[in-house]
Parts: sequence; structure tokens; C-alpha cells
Amino acid sequence: MTHHCSRPRPTRWLAGALLALVTSLLAPVASAVETARDHECLRCHAMSTLAYREPDSGEIRSLALDPQRLDHSVHAELACSDCHARGYGRYPHRAKLADEQLGCVECHADDPADATYRLDRIAEEFAASVHASSDHHKLRQFDCHSCHDPHAFRASQVGDDLGAIVRRDNQTCLDCHHRVTDPLRGSHAWLPQRDAHWAAVRCIDCHTPTTPQASHQILAAADSSKRCVACHSRDSRLREGLYRYRLAQDRAEHGWLTSLVRNDAYIVGMSRSPLLDALSLAILALVALVIALHGYGRYRLARRRKENDR
Amino acid sequence: MSTSPLYPLWLRAWHWYNAALFLALMVSGVSMHYAGTDWLLGFNQAVAIHNVSGTLLALGWIAFVLANLKSDNGRHYLPRPRGLVRDLWVQARYYAYGIFRDEPHPFHAGPAAKFNVLQQLSYLGAMYLLMPLLILSGLGFLLSPLLPETLLGISTLWLVAMTHVLTSYLLVLFLLVHVYIITIGDSLTANLRAMLTGEHGTSDDTQETDRHAS
Repeated sequence: MTHHCSRPRPTRWLAGALLALVTSLLAPVASAVETARDHECLRCHAMSTLAYREPDSGEIRSLALDPQRLDHSVHAELACSDCHARGYGRYPHRAKLADEQLGCVECHADDPADATYRLDRIAEEFAASVHASSDHHKLRQFDCHSCHDPHAFRASQVGDDLGAIVRRDNQTCLDCHHRVTDPLRGSHAWLPQRDAHWAAVRCIDCHTPTTPQASHQILAAADSSKRCVACHSRDSRLREGLYRYRLAQDRAEHGWLTSLVRNDAYIVGMSRSPLLDALSLAILALVALVIALHGYGRYRLARRRKENDR
Repeated sequence: MSTSPLYPLWLRAWHWYNAALFLALMVSGVSMHYAGTDWLLGFNQAVAIHNVSGTLLALGWIAFVLANLKSDNGRHYLPRPRGLVRDLWVQARYYAYGIFRDEPHPFHAGPAAKFNVLQQLSYLGAMYLLMPLLILSGLGFLLSPLLPETLLGISTLWLVAMTHVLTSYLLVLFLLVHVYIITIGDSLTANLRAMLTGEHGTSDDTQETDRHAS
């Protein structure tokens, strides 16, 4: 491009401006495909010791992120600046940024993919939940992020291992409610096979009201369900929640017949093999019929014998 | 026919112990399997009853096996291999046909042999095949958190559950037939009374034997 060098300066300036324009147009695209590992912010925030001391309370607040969890999170493909938009050019960042309110519904409400979650109900459900109505001092700053860490949160996917879903989901609760698992505390002692339950169902399966979608109305311990047949019955609520996707997926992958056998979590009262039940009951009924006929035959014989004796 | 102590007291006590537990297990088991049905037991209640009764039944079974090893009671359950097919045919033919023709019972219970060959085979199947499977799968349920998640690619708990359900259906079938078959004695209630009092052979019995002989 040597012949361009002889051009007058204004043209060169114009070319530079054009290049700048193109670059600025391309920039958002570039940031959209940026993966978590590439985030500039992680140069500091990936350090596990990054923290500050709250001036009022003296509490140490971590500012660290786990890049690996971020990478697997539902927000992995977003740029940091998509949410943390302004005022982060200064280092260290200004203290007031720590108070910025970032809701979930604001972004997610418009996404048609999120329509099934019925986000419009979340605020209402949350307002009725024990997390909002209790005046416990630890709940003073409770918001979406207290449970759903936006830098790690991952929605369960069809095909995920059920045990892994349960573990991940319950860990969210146990992060705060870790004393529940204390063997000396009897809050769940009433529950037969407590550990089997904890490995197989989510906390929210008992600690929220029955709704078709997972509810954000977390119930107080006293209001939570102790009704066994809510799950242990043919129309188990687990079918609506935890098992909804799995059953459909199993049938699609392995066929209807195989899904009868391959049901990978057996729930007493809920999981029955209709084939085995029908067959067994039919055989029992048939045998009962044969017995009735046999008995009738013997009765006729006895009567005939009595008449002969007379 | 003179009275003979066909069923000693320990055996009768063991029998009714089993009978009571079987009933409790059936009612509570059905209540869990078909949980949510109004007229059945409540789930928690059924679980408690089933766990306790199941454990007691398992202990009873262990006692039965030990008693059979120690005493000669066990031999009553073992059919004679020689002429097995013929014996089976004779017994089955009697139940299906001979009984309606007023033929004499081909087998008569006595201290030497308490059970006919069909009884022997069904008791053998129930006590040494179905019961161990039932007890092991029940134990599997009780200790389910300790089970491996899958066995040969299939959920272990699912296998345990299906074994338990299937064996219990078969044992209910056994019970159904058992309750009817015992009415085919020397009289309608002779066998039942024998299991209650231990005495086998009553005045009814002699009457029927006379009739058969005549």
C-alpha cells in the first residue's frame, strides 16, 4: 500500500476515522463471544483471596469468583460489562458500586425462552416466602443472588443426572442451612430413611407449596409438607417437578417399554410397574376364580353325598 | 385313627406368628404400594408397621431355618426324587379330577410325612426361594442408602423394588392357595384344627376314612 503514502493528510485522517468506526461497531460482537476465561475482570477476581473489609461491620467480604464455575454457569457467555456496566474503569472500584441492585427478572422477563418459568410470579412468591417475611438479622440483605449466584448458577438441563441436580440444588440451601445436616439436630428425624430422601429429592420439594413450576415461596419449617403421599402416590408431585423431564427423556431415548424397567429412581407408591401389577393381579384373580369353582364343585359333591346317604 | 402330635407347639406358635405378620405385611405393603388410596392405612403408619413386621418375619425365617437344621422337621419339605413325576401326577390328578369323583385322598398326613409332594414343592419354593428373596430385598430397602446406585446398568433400588414386589405377589398367591388347600383335609376344618391344637385325626377323620374305604 505504498502508493497511499503520497496521499494528502486529510484522506489519511478519514481512513483512520473509518477504521475506528468499524472497530467500534465490531466491538460488541467481540465481547458477546468472549468466554468467561477471557474476562479482563478475572485477572483480579479469579484470585481466591480477593476481598475487602466492610468498614461498618468489619466483616470480610469476598470479591473472588471461581472461573471454572463461571465458565459452566448459565451466564458464561455474557461479558462482565453486560451486567456491571458503568463505573468500573477506576481501580480500586468505588465502594458505592457494591450496593448496585441487579435483579434477575429485569433481564429474563423479556426472553421468550424463560416464559415457562413464569417470572412475573416470582416477586409475589418471594414476598410470601419465609426469606422475605422473617425478621431474622441474617435475612436483612436477602435477594435473588443470596441463592442464585449469578456467577455460578446453572439451570438444570434435560439429561442431567438426577442425583447431581438434587445435590446441586440442595447445596444452595445448605450453604446457609448447614446445621440441618448436624446429626444431633432432630429437625428431619421424623422422616424415614432421611439420608435416602436427602439424596433423592430437593429441599424445595417439601419446603415450597405444590405448584406446577418450582415456587420461590419457601415455607417456614412448621408450614412445610410432612404429607408422605404428596410424593408417595400415583399422582406424586415429583412427577410435576423433579421427574417431569426425566420420564419424557427416558421414553424418548429408550422407548416406552425400556423406561418401565430402566426407571433409575424408585419411589415407593409412585413408581410402579403397571405391567407387573396388572399381570400379578390378573393371576391372583384367576387363581381365586379357580379356587371358587373348585370349592363349588366340592360343595355339589358333598350335597350329592348327603342325598345319597338319606 | 389315633391322635398323633403332628404339629408340636413350637411349630404351631411359629406358624401363627408368621400368619399374623403376613397379614400385617400384606395390609401395610398394599397401603404403601397403592399409597394415596383413601381406605388404606396412612403412609407413615404403614411404613412403621411394615418395617417392624418385616424384621420380625425375617427373624422368624432365620429361626425356621435353624430349627430345620437342628431337628428333623426339615425333611418334610424335601420330596423323594424317586417317582417324583408320578407322585406329582397322582396328586395333581386328585385335586383336579379325583376329588370330584369321590376318590380317596392319595396321600394321608402322618408323622412320617406331613406333606404331599405338591405341598412339599410349594413350601420348598416359598420358604427357600421366595422368602430369602423377599427378606433380602426388604433388607435392601431398609439399607437403601448403602446400596450402589446401579447394578449392571440398572438402578439397584429398582431391582430391589421389583424383586420385593414380585416375590410378595407370589407369596400372596401361595397364601391364597394355602388357605384353600387346607380345607381339603379329612374334613373341611381338620387341618386348621390340627394347626391350632396340634392333634391330627379326629372323629370326622375316621368317618371320612370309613367312607373312602366303603
